[in-house]
Amino acid sequence: MFVSLLNFFFNFYFYLLFILAVLVLIPLFTLYVALTRTFSNHRSTMRRFRRAMVWWGKTVAFIPYPFIRFRYELNGENDTKKSYIFICNHRSAVDAFLMKVLPHEFVEIVNDWPFKIPVLGIFARFAAFLDIRSMSHEAFMAKATELLGQGVSIVFFPEGTRSVDGRMGSFHSAAFRLAVETGTPLVPLCITGNEIVMPKGSLFIKPGIIKIRQLPPLAADDFTGLTPFTLKSRVWKIMEQELSAMESTL
Amino acid sequence: MTEEEIIEKTNRVFEESFEIEPGRLKADAHIFTDLGLDSLDIVDLVVALQSSFGVKIRTDEKVREIRTLGDVYSFIARVKNGEQD
Repeated sequence: MFVSLLNFFFNFYFYLLFILAVLVLIPLFTLYVALTRTFSNHRSTMRRFRRAMVWWGKTVAFIPYPFIRFRYELNGENDTKKSYIFICNHRSAVDAFLMKVLPHEFVEIVNDWPFKIPVLGIFARFAAFLDIRSMSHEAFMAKATELLGQGVSIVFFPEGTRSVDGRMGSFHSAAFRLAVETGTPLVPLCITGNEIVMPKGSLFIKPGIIKIRQLPPLAADDFTGLTPFTLKSRVWKIMEQELSAMESTL
Repeated sequence: MTEEEIIEKTNRVFEESFEIEPGRLKADAHIFTDLGLDSLDIVDLVVALQSSFGVKIRTDEKVREIRTLGDVYSFIARVKNGEQD
């Protein structure tokens, strides 16, 4: 009973500040990008806009601190001048916000539902987040290749849906096909603890620690000659082992 | 080409091009849910089967009807027989 009451107040506190942040910060970010747009080109504006979205993610992640904490571990390089394809496991609706740890300019590959979120959906569309289900494979590959060519990294959740039981589902191959065709390095991002903070099917958040472990990139040389299927199988195994290791040390 | 030869050669395609362990290659294995292929992987599968069997496969309705590994064996048998006719 006492724990339930604490959880209720914790959620009330979080969502109250979340709504305040939406009302105050979103217009401020918009104004900032719109004003700077007047003396910069489209590419710079997009870079600034995506950066503003990362700051939005940082703000949302900061609201429940210290009840919800983040541990980001970087293994290997993190060259912000290069574009990467990030591969993340997906257990919770908060995962999109967790990408705030990345110092890169990036877009996320999503299903259609994030575009339906009031206000934020418009921002996701403007930032050129890609709705993979509504695009043909050819259109998707063309747009994704163009973004990578501009130095924009791409974040995939290749399971396509959130895991119900914590076990990683099988991967769809679009990310790996893109990596093979463009020679872009793949970076696995393993996330644990997110399923406790906000389980699938719930809007209530709970205190906890979310661990994000970034593994070393697989360079194009590492997957020369592999089919997208073989590459996705190898990345799946690497991430599955890493997630098991992370969970055994929670 | 005998049924056994088609099965053996098809399985070799799955082992070599897709690195799927031989123990998982059963006739009733669903190629999407059990073997983990998706619709895009089917294109690679068709290319690998064409190369292995030396046949031309059109990605028509018959390919889209394939669900299990057994369906792949039957499909290849029909293509091979069709070529011989």
